Amino acid sequence: MSSQVSGHLPVADDRAVRRYVAQLARRHPRMLYGALSLHVGAALAALAAPRLLGDLVEAVQNGTTTGHVDRIVGVLAAFLVVQTVLTRYARYLSQVLGEQVLAELREDFVDSTLALPVGVVEEAGSGDLLTRTSRDVDQLGWSIRMALPEWTIAVVTAVVTFVAAISVGWWVALPCLLGVPPLVIGLRWYLRRAKDGYLRESATYSRINATLTETVEGARTVEALGLGRRRIAAADEDIEASYWAERYTLYLRTVFFPNMEIAYLVPTVATLLFGGYLYTQGEVSLGAVTAATLYVQMLIDPVDRIVSILDELQLGAASLARLLGVAQVPDDREVSGREPAGEQLEADDVRFSYVEGRDVLHGVSLDVGVGERIAMVGPSGAGKSTLGRLLAGIHPPRTGAVTVGGVGLVELPLDDLRGHVALVTQEHHVFVGTMRENLVLARPGASDDDVRSALDAVDALDWVDALPEGLDTEVGSGGRAVTAAQAQQIALARLVLADPHTLVLDEATSLIDPRAARHLERSLAAVLEGRTVIAIAHRLFSAHDADRVAVVEDGRISELGSHDELVATGGSYAALWESWHGRG
Amino acid sequence: MRRLPLDHPGTADHRSPGRFLWWMAGQQWRTLAGGMAFGIVWMCAQAVMPAVIGRAIDQGVAAKDTDRLLEWAGVLLAIGLVQAGAGIMRHRFAVTNWLTAAYRIVQLVTRQSVRLGGTLPRKVSTGEVVAIGTNDLSHIGQVMDVSARFSGAVVSFVVVAVILLQTSVTLGLVVLLGVPLMMLLLTPILGPLQRSSAHQRHLMGRLSNTASDIVGGLRVLRGIGGEQVFADRYRRESQSARYAGVQVARLQSVLDALQVFLPGFFVVVVVWIGARSAVSGSITAGELVAFYGYSAFLMIPLRTATEYANKVIRGRVAAARICRVLELDPEVGVPAEVAGSPATGVDLVDARSGLTVRAGVLTAIVSDQPDDSALLADRLGMTASPVDDEVTLGGVPLTALDPVEVRERIVVSDTGALFFSGRLGDGLDLSGHGDVDRALDTASAADILDALTEGLDTIVAERGRSFSGGQRQRLVLARALALDPEVLVLVEPTSAVDAHTESRIAARLRHHRAGRTTVVTSTSPLMLDTADVVAFLEGGRVVATGTHAELLASSAAYRRVVTRETDLEAVGA
Repeated sequence: MSSQVSGHLPVADDRAVRRYVAQLARRHPRMLYGALSLHVGAALAALAAPRLLGDLVEAVQNGTTTGHVDRIVGVLAAFLVVQTVLTRYARYLSQVLGEQVLAELREDFVDSTLALPVGVVEEAGSGDLLTRTSRDVDQLGWSIRMALPEWTIAVVTAVVTFVAAISVGWWVALPCLLGVPPLVIGLRWYLRRAKDGYLRESATYSRINATLTETVEGARTVEALGLGRRRIAAADEDIEASYWAERYTLYLRTVFFPNMEIAYLVPTVATLLFGGYLYTQGEVSLGAVTAATLYVQMLIDPVDRIVSILDELQLGAASLARLLGVAQVPDDREVSGREPAGEQLEADDVRFSYVEGRDVLHGVSLDVGVGERIAMVGPSGAGKSTLGRLLAGIHPPRTGAVTVGGVGLVELPLDDLRGHVALVTQEHHVFVGTMRENLVLARPGASDDDVRSALDAVDALDWVDALPEGLDTEVGSGGRAVTAAQAQQIALARLVLADPHTLVLDEATSLIDPRAARHLERSLAAVLEGRTVIAIAHRLFSAHDADRVAVVEDGRISELGSHDELVATGGSYAALWESWHGRG
Repeated sequence: MRRLPLDHPGTADHRSPGRFLWWMAGQQWRTLAGGMAFGIVWMCAQAVMPAVIGRAIDQGVAAKDTDRLLEWAGVLLAIGLVQAGAGIMRHRFAVTNWLTAAYRIVQLVTRQSVRLGGTLPRKVSTGEVVAIGTNDLSHIGQVMDVSARFSGAVVSFVVVAVILLQTSVTLGLVVLLGVPLMMLLLTPILGPLQRSSAHQRHLMGRLSNTASDIVGGLRVLRGIGGEQVFADRYRRESQSARYAGVQVARLQSVLDALQVFLPGFFVVVVVWIGARSAVSGSITAGELVAFYGYSAFLMIPLRTATEYANKVIRGRVAAARICRVLELDPEVGVPAEVAGSPATGVDLVDARSGLTVRAGVLTAIVSDQPDDSALLADRLGMTASPVDDEVTLGGVPLTALDPVEVRERIVVSDTGALFFSGRLGDGLDLSGHGDVDRALDTASAADILDALTEGLDTIVAERGRSFSGGQRQRLVLARALALDPEVLVLVEPTSAVDAHTESRIAARLRHHRAGRTTVVTSTSPLMLDTADVVAFLEGGRVVATGTHAELLASSAAYRRVVTRETDLEAVGA
């Protein structure tokens, strides 16, 4: 088993991300353009207020009647109602669109994840994939639900407001332009640093939580081994790292925020001054100066939102790139469409390496007879599990071939492969769901009778029946806890239901009490009568029962023969068997 | 900014959530006060902005007085700069307040977990404690953060009120009474919205769990099939989460629209009254503009006030959860009268099971029920619950000794032992001066290290997840051996390793612990054969003692348990 983390899952590049976003937009044109036009409408309606207020100021200045005031205020109220209604539907439509897009994204992602070659997951470590499924999906959810609509609205509002300001008079553009240089310079400076800073910051919080979780879940171990001071020091170290990460982003904001404030302040003051000057020159009206000043002030809010949401969007885009990256992993299987002739499993001069240049199997050949039971024994790290996985078609061999009925296992589509060979390892994952759902994975639609007889075959029927809800009991994380031994029984029952002609069992009963394991293997053997079984075992009684025993040492099969033959030969198997019986 | 983390988080007042929050605030009152001061300046600067613009229009523009215009523009600029400066200072204090509170909680909970030790999982679900790290600390941090802004909001509201009333009593009253009234009008929709958002969050949480579940079980699925089943399940859950999101959008969009309408309506009313007063000459045009500005500005302090109320409610819930953890006491405490330390090299005796562990000897425990062995091991190390005084070291009950001394002299390494993340070398050498190489060799774990390019400097993933079960078990064994305690109790130390490795470990263990007291629970003949003495338990009591060979010959029950086999007896015996 490879335990070193050497590789990483790919991350999509900017072009791929843009292509995907464009494709998403094309998938929902009506909702997209509908929402956009509603937002434009709402922003336009909002612009009436400063204009009308300007008119009012003008009218008051020049002397007017209350009737005129009432009329203007009436129009103001009407625009407000329009703005309210448009806002309602604009927001609704964009959120519905966001939910839709988000659902498509995460479903595509999970489909790609389910198709990942196991080797890739192991090489990258499941941690990376877990982060993508949890943190990146969450981050993207936040970006699409909140940040993206807010940003779109802000952009629409800013553009429309600017246009309205210009419509008061071309001169308004001049003070606005004064704000642009500090805005652009500050923003570029900030965005170039913000993403990494915030990613590092959030990583330190994951670290704090991971350490706290370990301390809490390992509280017994902490006490038993007197690790208290170390755990406290570890927590303080994590906090210190987090503090420095926080300080860095705080520094970024300390530079950036005041810079922005000034970028907003300058146009307001300039509009007032410039407008005032033009008024004294008699070029513009008092109403125009008022309206212009208010418009420029109104610009602050949307521009500020555009700017402050940008880093959020940057993080969202980074998450999206990581989610899309999973789909870019090349498949390690090449379906050829050839049909196996028969059930004969054969490995021919197989070599394999996890890390380039370091073969863990050095030319292994093994012909497995149909219906034969082979036990594989040997020291840890000798390559037993690797060979088992190659025989189950999980990995393609580097050179040589593993075939069933003359067809390479990696040429078969995944679903067909499982009809031929299935693998159960000591890894016992109980999925969240009912006991029944956990069992029928490999054969959806299996009847309760089938399920029960499968459970019976692995000696698990008694305790499953004793569960409060029987097969409907919720298990897995958050549900009823099952012991490691029970989890292995569940794994084996799945296998019985899947019913392939060849089974590879990698320490599949290692966590079950030896006495129970022995009984289980017997009853399992009865059910699997006539099936080909390759069992990797550390308990020797399994080997004793097998037709042939293969001793794997240093990536080679060093001894192969029946139990009696090998004991008679007096090799390493014989020595082990002796000591196991307490004779040595 | 204050340097964090603190050397010591202090002793929390956990009598009630309110007291806890108050205590937290008291611990950082200086930075809280700083945040409040800048919050007030910042808000007030914003509050007077409309007045300044109004004056500028009245006295500068309308009066065509260039000097006055320049003067007021200068004031506007100055106030803007003050606002920017106070704003960033307020923000810096807010971040400090958030961090101080959040970090302090992590420190408090870590120290409490360490203090509770094995008591913790028995008294409270670990998920509950972990949730403090993922949720609660940010809620408490937010209470500290928002309180500074809240005080700014209160003061600025008063400032605006004074300015308004001075200009026009009617308009002033309309604004001061109308704005809070409007916030009240929004409340009926908040309840249903919060409920549907909570429902959506719940579904999203479940969805995320399903995805993690798929990732966690990916290898299992690849071995046996069922990918389509999970793809379908995820799609189903994803769609119901989407539907819940649409329900939220329905309410949220109404709230968004109301947040446009209510202030807008209010502005319309103010402008209307203001314009009529302006027509009659009781206020100026500039003042009208200022009123418009105030009514828009006042929404900010009011929103802060609602935010404050919300966050304090959440903060109290979070504080309650933290108090529940902080108020626990460990089951094993320091006894009122600590007995004198027993000499080294004495026997460990359990009266209940009748087991005597002789000093300097490798004792194996075999039980007809595996759970009995594990329980006995726990009791030998005083890690079982409840604690009893039937286990004695050199005649002194363990409960009469300082727990720290017991932990130092007797170390229990059980099957649930966790291998912590961090540098591998540190995880193995807990005492700082253990013989790690020798321990790794005995645990037959040298090959694990050989495969790591970084060797002892390798960073171990959380809970040692980067290692296989068998590798982890050998590392846990090496860790316990490197501690080299007076009495070492190992529970099923080789259950997950293959027979070849197990036989190597069994042979080396005896040699490694020569002259030291060692207890091993196991049913493996390879391990039992190397023990000096084997104690066989039936129904929790020792019924036979002797070497493995003696017991095999003398006890049929022992034979059944150890070989698990009737027909093997013919081969083996």
